[in-house]
Amino acid sequence: MSKADPILLSVFARAFKAITDEMSISVQKTTRSPILCEAKDFVTGLYDAQGNMLEQTENLPILAFSLAPVCRYIVEFFGDDIHEGDVIFHNDVFSMGNQNNDVAVYKPVFHEGKLVAWTAVKGHQADIGGAVAGGYNPTATEVWQEALRIPPVKVVERGKLRKDVWDLIFANIRLDIVQHDMRAQMGACNVGARRVVEMLDKYGVRTFEIHKAALFDATRKMMEAEIATIPNGTYSGEGMVYFDGHHVGTEFTIRVDITVKDKSISFDYSRTDAQTDGFVNGTFTSSASATILTLLQMVNPDMPHNEGMVQPIEIKIPEGTILNASYPKATTFGNHLCPPNADAIIRALAPVIPDRVTAGWNNLLCSLTTGIDPQKNEKYVDIGFMGLKGGSGAMKGTDGYDHIGMIDASGGLLDQDYEMFEQQTPHLLKRHEYLPDSAGAGQWRGGLGVVTDYVIGSDNTQFVTFGDGDFEPAFGLFGGKDSILNEITLTYPDGTKRVPRNKDLIMGVPKNTHYHQVAGGGGGYGDPKKRDRKKLAREIRDGIISLEAAREHYGYEGKA
Amino acid sequence: MTYRVGIDVGGTFTDFFVTHPGRDPVVAKVLSTPADPSIAVISGLEEIAATLEPPLSLAEFAGQIDTIVHGTTVTTNATLTRNGAKCGLITTKGVRDALEMRRGIREEQYNNRYTNVAPLVERYLRIGVTGRLDRNGKEVEPLSLEEVREAVELFKAEGVKAVSICFMNAFANPAHEREAAALVRQELPDAYLTVSTDLLPSIRFYERVSTTALNSYVGPILDHYLNQLQGRLKQAGFNGLLLIMQSNGGVMSPQVARDKSALTLLSGPAAGPGAGLEYVRPHKQSKCIVVDMGGTSFEAALVVDSPIMVNEGEIDRHRIALPMLGIHTIGAGGGSIGWIDEGGLLRMGPQSAGAAPGPACYSKGGELPATTDANVVLGYLNPTFFAGGKMSLDVEKARKAIETHIAKPLGLSIEEAAAGMYRIACTNMAQGVREVSIQRGFDPREFPLVVAGGAGPIHSCLICDELEVPLQIVPRESSILCAVGMLMSDLKHDFVRTFVSPLAGADWKALMPLIDAMIAEGNKLLDEEGISEDKRSHAVKFDCRYLKQYHEVSFVVPTEALAARDETAIAAAFHKEHNRLYGYSLEEQDVPVEIINVRTQAVGRTQRPEFRKEPHAGADASRAVKERRQVYIPDRAAFEEVPVYDGHALRHGNTIVGPALIEEITTAIFVGANHDCVVDATGSLVMYRKERPELAATVRMEVTA
Repeated sequence: MSKADPILLSVFARAFKAITDEMSISVQKTTRSPILCEAKDFVTGLYDAQGNMLEQTENLPILAFSLAPVCRYIVEFFGDDIHEGDVIFHNDVFSMGNQNNDVAVYKPVFHEGKLVAWTAVKGHQADIGGAVAGGYNPTATEVWQEALRIPPVKVVERGKLRKDVWDLIFANIRLDIVQHDMRAQMGACNVGARRVVEMLDKYGVRTFEIHKAALFDATRKMMEAEIATIPNGTYSGEGMVYFDGHHVGTEFTIRVDITVKDKSISFDYSRTDAQTDGFVNGTFTSSASATILTLLQMVNPDMPHNEGMVQPIEIKIPEGTILNASYPKATTFGNHLCPPNADAIIRALAPVIPDRVTAGWNNLLCSLTTGIDPQKNEKYVDIGFMGLKGGSGAMKGTDGYDHIGMIDASGGLLDQDYEMFEQQTPHLLKRHEYLPDSAGAGQWRGGLGVVTDYVIGSDNTQFVTFGDGDFEPAFGLFGGKDSILNEITLTYPDGTKRVPRNKDLIMGVPKNTHYHQVAGGGGGYGDPKKRDRKKLAREIRDGIISLEAAREHYGYEGKA
Repeated sequence: MTYRVGIDVGGTFTDFFVTHPGRDPVVAKVLSTPADPSIAVISGLEEIAATLEPPLSLAEFAGQIDTIVHGTTVTTNATLTRNGAKCGLITTKGVRDALEMRRGIREEQYNNRYTNVAPLVERYLRIGVTGRLDRNGKEVEPLSLEEVREAVELFKAEGVKAVSICFMNAFANPAHEREAAALVRQELPDAYLTVSTDLLPSIRFYERVSTTALNSYVGPILDHYLNQLQGRLKQAGFNGLLLIMQSNGGVMSPQVARDKSALTLLSGPAAGPGAGLEYVRPHKQSKCIVVDMGGTSFEAALVVDSPIMVNEGEIDRHRIALPMLGIHTIGAGGGSIGWIDEGGLLRMGPQSAGAAPGPACYSKGGELPATTDANVVLGYLNPTFFAGGKMSLDVEKARKAIETHIAKPLGLSIEEAAAGMYRIACTNMAQGVREVSIQRGFDPREFPLVVAGGAGPIHSCLICDELEVPLQIVPRESSILCAVGMLMSDLKHDFVRTFVSPLAGADWKALMPLIDAMIAEGNKLLDEEGISEDKRSHAVKFDCRYLKQYHEVSFVVPTEALAARDETAIAAAFHKEHNRLYGYSLEEQDVPVEIINVRTQAVGRTQRPEFRKEPHAGADASRAVKERRQVYIPDRAAFEEVPVYDGHALRHGNTIVGPALIEEITTAIFVGANHDCVVDATGSLVMYRKERPELAATVRMEVTA
């Protein structure tokens, strides 16, 4: 067979997706860190021998688009020293990694003695060494204060575990579960590899190669057709980053110039501010992932995710900018530069494709509590997923999605279950509800934010925040209103109130401290006065828009 | 009192399967009556009575029916069409939105037009009240009955028909829920009430509140329907036992169904897997994969000794955390529409032409090409013998639809395009089979495939080739498999309690009474259902996980291990199941195992119909050949003339060499080029790979037996 068969093409597309989905289920069900199995902060992928993306399952998209570049780097790095039965680990941000904590497993897949594909799983690990447990170290200025660097390393060679290497890595990581979770990621790579081999046994490598190329081609055309609907021109936008973790009051601007020329699109970040001396810096791949996932929300969502999809996209981020820090800068916050990056892109494209952009999304503001559960005398770590998830921006014809969380996850990140939360931590949940009037008003309103209150149940609690959105709310578009700010307040048992900075580390928080958090909503779209009155009346009745706000923003004249 | 009747109400047809000792079973289908499905039930019984020998009146027939097992989708349909009852929810202050938030998921991450599903209870009717228990069930703050009363007043004023009560940590202590329930019962005696801990006393708040709300949402609907049905049956003269199908593959009395209506939500296909098992038993097998392809959907389920269960599922994006059969449903059926996506790839479904307008060849106004259209073009379906000739299919319309929408855009001939549609549909279904096998740690090649549904046996050879499954069985009653399965279902009642504790050193003094209490509850229901002691059994399952894992693995606790309180043996059972599911266990790492939930299932065995056995009639099937016809042979990518057999004329032992077609009134069977087929003693068609004739040895053995 020398030409692709249109039917077999569909069969391959379906098979690739089935493989990465199956790998994803495997990771979710077998990992132990809640970041992986509850919040699904991981991605699974399938790549060809050269490292080109065949398909991915992107539970958390921000990790997703660094896997292929790293795969290519690994192929180059090991050259002809890649063998059946090898397993390679990688996290290094200075060799295309996106974030230190996001550790990837790569497994080469061989068929009849020849390298034909790679399976990979990248997941956010509960710890990665460095100065602070969990990896978020607002005081870091260099990568070594943040993490153990893992450039491509074989932990299994020709089927044999390299125990020395394994121990070297895990001797530098605090928590035992990381070992188990990495094992689970390896297991998922095995699952994927097994299926690729089955597929090749059936169709042969040549047929696979022909159809792979044809699939890239078909997908590229799909993406090109989408881009072609954006008028030619250059469009610019900005997004703001507040506070570098070191210097109070600092602000940084992300600037993007987007050029659309027929079927291709380029994103040029040359005018973006310089890198910081803290950990608020992106890596090329974390920033490029942010760019791609924002663009993907503006095109047909029903597109296969493979190399063809990214071919028409060019991304230029000069080294030394806040989106692409130079060696050996600290970068752990880099994934969370996605929201302002997305803001810049949305602002740039809103005037030209007003029907396809959303208003601004709520930015992430996250907290993490660590301590000893006094009843169980056991250590706990909790990432406050439920509290951080605000609303998405509205778009023409559709309200924003309530309590979806930041754009880098787009609804892939789940709340802890409340009862499991109280089992795993000593905290007592008082409130986790939609916050009335938290959504930006508009003909289509933003998604609602939430309010979270709980009582901290351990003494001497370590408390970390990271995020943004407490200086600038999600923005409205075309007459739609802005949303409200993120906020975290700790009220100590003696009544003292403490508002942490958006990147902060507080030690010794006492038991019975009251935790209060607001995650703002998304921005509104269009003139709120034009909002459907029936919908509005129902929202007033349901208590998510107050009568006062309805009168003030929406011009509501009805009764309560 | 000798007849037993299985009645399966579907969207288009209501299927009947009637048994009587010493007589051939009766199979019947009547058109469903969606407005009041019990009408079709009665008219079907009346029709069947008239065909009996000697013919009976409805009253005579009904009076002789000993048991009716009934599967209904009224609750499923009410949920899918959002026609449930107006509901109120009383919950813990501060968490009333959990039901609507669904833990903050958006299933389609890149699709900003994708909206949340409307909540089962509107927000102004979700009331948080003061009162709090901690994680151990200890009261932190007493329940405010005053606030419960205020909620009830609002519900009264708003005309609420069903109330749910679900409090934080109630799994550990139901006291607050009971207090609130007593007040609601007193103040709103006519409302349907679901108390979370009565239905599902296990941990995970979202799962519990969602399941509770679903139960209330459909409770009044099912209650009303059962009243209608029981009324009509009584009027017709029926005084036997009525049993209702549940999602766990078991049956229950109408009273249990009324209280726990959510148990019926996914019961539509639940009788099929158990029935499939009965058809592989004559072949010395106790496991199989059962697939059922109808007009709009394809269902796959796996059976190992009994159908595989899961502890939760979803309906219309709402979580339902009740034990149910692990049936995987995809949008692939005879009506699935073929289309070309923006990248030029051919896709099939999930959109379906349904029964109206239907595939193009139905000539009911459908213009888009569906799977059935491809099957007509490829020669698998006989245009003049569809539904036994009750309906004729228009080949030209099928060709035209495929040409316009598939062939031309892809630059293929009509036949090539139809072959592609057939191929993609089979690939999709094979993927559905993978979901229930490979993804749960089973190798499909080790399972015979039992094929059901009108459209199933046309596609099953290609599905089997794709999955390398060597053996298939098409039951004679394949088009009404669920109705058959209903008569084979046992009474099944599931119970669960949360018991969070390390397995090693568990407090057996607290644990055993919990298990005993659940077994007693099961016995109480079986008492009410009149099941004698010798027909009962109770299985115990634990949901365990490795310490700090988030997801539990549910496994059967070996009886001896439980009796001996042998924690090591119980842990071994857990390691084994974890390894089977996920390819590894942490047994060697010595990671502690933690119990989260304890479950029991009470089973009351019901009487099963005996399969009739036919004498061997020799291998020669030539007498059943009706005609020869050109059909498409996928392996050769070409049309060939093959013999067409009249399925009703085939007898035990008759052997058919593939490729061939077999036509029956309610279905058509394509025997692929890699397969041969032999009829077994019960009339099932046994299809096997040509190189594996030993797989059908059981059929031949029956000759000598």
